[in-house]
Amino acid sequence: MSIVKVEGLGISFGNLPALKEINLQVPAGGIYGIIGPDSAGKTTLLRTICTLLPYKEGKVEVLKLDALKDAAVIRAQIGYMPQRFSLYRDLSVEQNIRFSARLFGVNGKEYASTLERLYQFSKLQPFAGRQAGKLSGGMQQKLALSCALIHKPELLVLDEPTFGVDPVSRQDFWDILHALKAEGISIIVSTPYMDEAQQCDRISLLFKGKIIGSDTPAGILAGWKGHLYRLETDDPQRLYGYLKEDLRLGDLQLFGSDIHLGSEDALEDAVFEKWQKGCPALKSWQQIQPNMEDVFLKMMQ
Amino acid sequence: MKGLGVLSTFIKKEFRQIMRSREMLLVLFLLPAIQLLVMGFAVTNEVKHIDISFFDLDRSIQSRRLMEAFSSTDRFHLVEVGEQDRPELQLFRWKSKVVIVIPAGFERKLAQGRIPALQLLLDGIDGNTASIANAYVQSCVKGFTEGYLRGKDPRRVGYMLQGQKASEIIIQMSFNPDLQSNLNIIPGIIAVLVTVTSMLLSAISLVKEKELGTLEQLLVTPVKKYQLLIGKILPYLLITLLQLQVAVLLAGLIFGIRVAGSYWVLTLFSIVYLFTSLGFGIFISTRVESQQQAMFFSWFMMVIMILLSGFFVPVQNMPQGVRWVSFANPLTHYMTVLREIVVKGSGLMQLKEELLVLLGGGMLVFGFGILSFRKRV
Repeated sequence: MSIVKVEGLGISFGNLPALKEINLQVPAGGIYGIIGPDSAGKTTLLRTICTLLPYKEGKVEVLKLDALKDAAVIRAQIGYMPQRFSLYRDLSVEQNIRFSARLFGVNGKEYASTLERLYQFSKLQPFAGRQAGKLSGGMQQKLALSCALIHKPELLVLDEPTFGVDPVSRQDFWDILHALKAEGISIIVSTPYMDEAQQCDRISLLFKGKIIGSDTPAGILAGWKGHLYRLETDDPQRLYGYLKEDLRLGDLQLFGSDIHLGSEDALEDAVFEKWQKGCPALKSWQQIQPNMEDVFLKMMQ
Repeated sequence: MKGLGVLSTFIKKEFRQIMRSREMLLVLFLLPAIQLLVMGFAVTNEVKHIDISFFDLDRSIQSRRLMEAFSSTDRFHLVEVGEQDRPELQLFRWKSKVVIVIPAGFERKLAQGRIPALQLLLDGIDGNTASIANAYVQSCVKGFTEGYLRGKDPRRVGYMLQGQKASEIIIQMSFNPDLQSNLNIIPGIIAVLVTVTSMLLSAISLVKEKELGTLEQLLVTPVKKYQLLIGKILPYLLITLLQLQVAVLLAGLIFGIRVAGSYWVLTLFSIVYLFTSLGFGIFISTRVESQQQAMFFSWFMMVIMILLSGFFVPVQNMPQGVRWVSFANPLTHYMTVLREIVVKGSGLMQLKEELLVLLGGGMLVFGFGILSFRKRV
């Protein structure tokens, strides 16, 4: 059963196409990642799923309802956390949560019990009276998540929730998402961080408004054909120029001060030694397993 | 029932935020007080303490009495002139606004029962002040001449003045017998206050939600558009009405201006008018992205509305085209109504035309504002 189904979705802002021919099936009960660089169209896609953006091309079904016609019903059953911290900074933690609860019609005992559980995982109770604007980035994200969860939605949509959050809080946040998943909540999360893709059950790679691949993270990695080598160097620019211009090698990526070289055939040490003579900047080489970023960068081409 | 719950939650939240920001409270209550005080005392059409200098070529008892007549009122302030000064130079050097030259033979002519001529020089840079000063001088000289003649030979007064005018006009100013500017200015200030508060605050508070991203969060909740708008607007309607009470109270305490008409009619008109200014606020908020832009556009609109409302310049003085614009300006009507109610004590029946205009305009603007507000990003 899929909780979100997108078919042939296309969205343009004026003449600028933001999303083209998007097809997406999100199975219920897992964490689905939308992975892509900035301006790939992640926010636009998530906003469409949350019924916030009207569209002309294609079809979007959320919880088996039409995102255009049944927007009101859908909105009552999903939790959405926008990219920017978007709660009232001048209201306290508890006031923010209570405000969200009232808007969704959560009252009385139900509110009290949900609030208690939310405090358990977010550990925000000691800060209940603090103004939201005075919380740290990680705590703000947890508060936003609490507000999005107060009405026990079936589907949680998170737009770059870990953006600008320190690594420890990021892992904290993912632990919470896994706990939520265990309770049966479906989660769609977007992120520009490739390493977070591994935390998802399924992912779609989004680039320039198009989905260039959808699979499990392992499936995506398995899609890599050939061999990958890491070349260490003290002058990446020079080595890159040598490989690209003089040897006409195509499959090259700069990774910090290293260069990743893809090849269909296995390369002997002799080949590298020959290159080293041509360009002494090449210090050492080593075959490696491709990571998500390698795969993504290759698919982008 | 559930809808009402959401609405009251919203309104509570809005008030909580207003109460939390100190600036907002200052804007709401201190600002009107200061505005009313400063403008109420300072903005006046009455001209006082006009600098006046005399060139007395007669140097007689009567010429000195004439000068005393001028210096005894607070409308004029006597400027001493030296031997070297010349009348035109007094104006050129900004020493006085009004110069009167008393010719030689002034006293003699008076004694003979003839009306002596005086030369009056006026600084015309500020036309308004000049014409008012002119009128003051005329009445002052007339008073002096009449007084002199009465003391001398009462029977000849009528005869003497016959040459000047065919029949005497006796002026009676209705509703504001002393021509107090306050009475005209203060209802105007109140109208401006009501506009500023409601339009600016509603625009800013809506845009603030947009700017901080909280609107996006609100939009995914099942809150209806009408709940969202009423929830945002109603607090500012109530606050503006409260501010109106404060202003009316202060006007009474400080300036002794009491509402001549019905207080309820005043409130009714204010509520009707608020739909227009709040509608403008909503409309502005849908067109801009930041609080700064909202501020800029609101001020831009308000300056035009205030200048064309008849607050400072009577609408009748404007050219025809501008008068139409002024007629389309809701503030013009609200200002008229406020003055009518506060000064004249007009009732609902006399003002029913204005009520229709304000009601129509309010529905138009408010409706337009609501339609432009979309519950999408």
